Amino acid sequence: MATESQWAVETHGLTKRFGPNVAVNGVELLVPRGCAFGYLGPNGAGKTTLIRVLLGLTHADAGTMSLLGCSVPRHRAEALARVGAIVDEPRFHGHLTGRQNLQVLAAAREPAARDRVGPALERVGILHRADDRVSKYSMGMRQRLGVAACLIGDPQLLILDEPMNGLDPAGMHEMRDMILSLVAEGRTVVLSSHLLDEVQRTCDAVAIVDRGSVIRQGPISELLAGASLVLQVECSEPDRARSLLDATALGAQIEVGEPGLGISLPAGTPRDVIAEINRILVEGGISVYRLEEIQASLESWFLQVTSRLGDSE
Amino acid sequence: MTTLTDVAAPAPDPVPLRRAPRDHRGSWIPTGGMIATRFMELRKRRGLMIALIVVNIGIPTLFLVIRLLAHAFAPKSYGPAGGYDIYTSLVAGVMYVFGFIVAATLGCTAGSVDLTEGMFRHLVVTGRSRLSLYLARIPAGLAIVVPLVAIGFTIVCAVCVFAAPTTLNYDGANLPAGLSLAGFETWAWDHPGQAICDLPYQAPITTSIQCGPNGPVSSNGPNGPNGGVIVKGTPPPAVVAPTPATNREQAVKIARQDYADYRVHFLYPSNSLMIKSGLWLELEAVIGFIVGLGLGSLLGQRTVAVILMIVLEVILTPIVSTHVIPHLVNLERGVVGLATAHLEPGGLPFAFGGGGGGGPGGRSLLVPESTTVAVCVIVAWLVGWTALGAWRMMTRDA
Repeated sequence: MATESQWAVETHGLTKRFGPNVAVNGVELLVPRGCAFGYLGPNGAGKTTLIRVLLGLTHADAGTMSLLGCSVPRHRAEALARVGAIVDEPRFHGHLTGRQNLQVLAAAREPAARDRVGPALERVGILHRADDRVSKYSMGMRQRLGVAACLIGDPQLLILDEPMNGLDPAGMHEMRDMILSLVAEGRTVVLSSHLLDEVQRTCDAVAIVDRGSVIRQGPISELLAGASLVLQVECSEPDRARSLLDATALGAQIEVGEPGLGISLPAGTPRDVIAEINRILVEGGISVYRLEEIQASLESWFLQVTSRLGDSE
Repeated sequence: MTTLTDVAAPAPDPVPLRRAPRDHRGSWIPTGGMIATRFMELRKRRGLMIALIVVNIGIPTLFLVIRLLAHAFAPKSYGPAGGYDIYTSLVAGVMYVFGFIVAATLGCTAGSVDLTEGMFRHLVVTGRSRLSLYLARIPAGLAIVVPLVAIGFTIVCAVCVFAAPTTLNYDGANLPAGLSLAGFETWAWDHPGQAICDLPYQAPITTSIQCGPNGPVSSNGPNGPNGGVIVKGTPPPAVVAPTPATNREQAVKIARQDYADYRVHFLYPSNSLMIKSGLWLELEAVIGFIVGLGLGSLLGQRTVAVILMIVLEVILTPIVSTHVIPHLVNLERGVVGLATAHLEPGGLPFAFGGGGGGGPGGRSLLVPESTTVAVCVIVAWLVGWTALGAWRMMTRDA
């Protein structure tokens, strides 16, 4: 039975093994309702396997999970009635049209799903090709059809596995807008992707998975707040400027590059330090032409986190 | 390391949880919509449908059309296109085997394509019971197989009835069909030459008659050892020459002996035989589809499943039907093809060329089996393969 849980997805100790290989290793995942949630990880990290376990496409070896407050697999049918998902590359019957493929899927859902086929095709922008055979569709159109297949169930939770694959820049932009509009309607979207820039633009919170385990999760803004602060300084005499700053106790890592200095400060460094750096350089007779705080990107943070993990091992 | 602090994001107010739609999604019973869309999915496979129509309807139709044309242009050289013999040959031979293969091919396709074409995952994610997804394929597939077999069979019946010969050719003698014993004896009395020369007789003939070009028409005539003139029978020593009366008496004796065989020869199949044959062919097709569906689902691919089904029908079943292996008789009884052959309507030759399971003058099937056992074997195959296919679908990783 569904309970009013604040989590759209909740897993505890979820484990899936393939022989000696542990694809999903004791995953503790909490996806808040009503947000776009990124699920990130390098290739082979176990992202798709976790999604397959959540959707009942394969069974878990250990742990518990629930979707929209419904315990799975016990109340799987009730949970999946409100879930739409694309897993891996979306594939359909090539000899049927896009509309007919959706009719096949709608027939397996509630009766009202049949009426949503047309609107779903229109929403993903392939209504004009709805009566063409899927074998003539491009990869991007199949991705859109996959999203339409999710929408015919009027889902409260969408799980999209690499939905941007095969889309051109305009298509990615449209997909991003669509995901944001779905979230604006109060739905939850779990986005598994390796396109970190897209995830950063689209999602509110993320989880990083590596080697089957979730190693970080939380709102993006908070996660990035824990990343190091990077200053780009364009100035005269960069080598002398570096010597001046090395003589201070700021704890900064300084590199001399083409435009000037690249200064990395530890996470949590107060912003007053930026003014202090400027003062030291000016008082030392260095002309400062430009001083810019570089916002840490999800990509740089992701690489930082995963490399840190690799270093510790 | 996993951190779980402050995961909740500043999100818009989520919509309250609505109840899952009341559609009995966990039920194992497929809905009408599921069956209809599955039917559409199979029907739209143009290549497969053309192949099935060609094999099950096209080949018998082409054969009959050629016979019709041949008879129309050269009626003396080519007999009528239809008739009882053509009917039994087509039904127990071509349509029986091809109907099974057509149905099995469709079954194997229905059982495996969702998996190979990637739709199985989409269907499972709907939350619909996997068992109902499997069961929806059965009525959908049968809605194609049953009419396909029926159309082919109807064409055969129509040609065999409406293009049947007007006289019966019985062992080389042309005579009216459907005579009573008295009528058959009367015909023999009136045509002693044909009766003595052409009809078989399992006793010494007590008269003598010339068969050949100058005598009564004989099947041996032109090729006889006496240059087309054959003297059939040996006159009794005391008799100088047979009289017409002795010939007629001999002809009636022959007719009396042959009547049991004659009365199961017809110009065209009876309504009763056609109905029974049609149902028997449909049974065979249903078995082919259900077993193919289960095998396709079990293996998860079509090609190997179709090859196995053809091997079962074309190689294994005929071998088992003609060879009794003493210690494996019960195993042989378990072959569904033999069980189906036991239910073959009387009047048809044995489906595997063994000659008359219940037909005229044919020998019995080598492996004895009661009708009850045959029915049980068929039911076991249908239920067993359905259970296997459904089990694999329910436990398979999508």
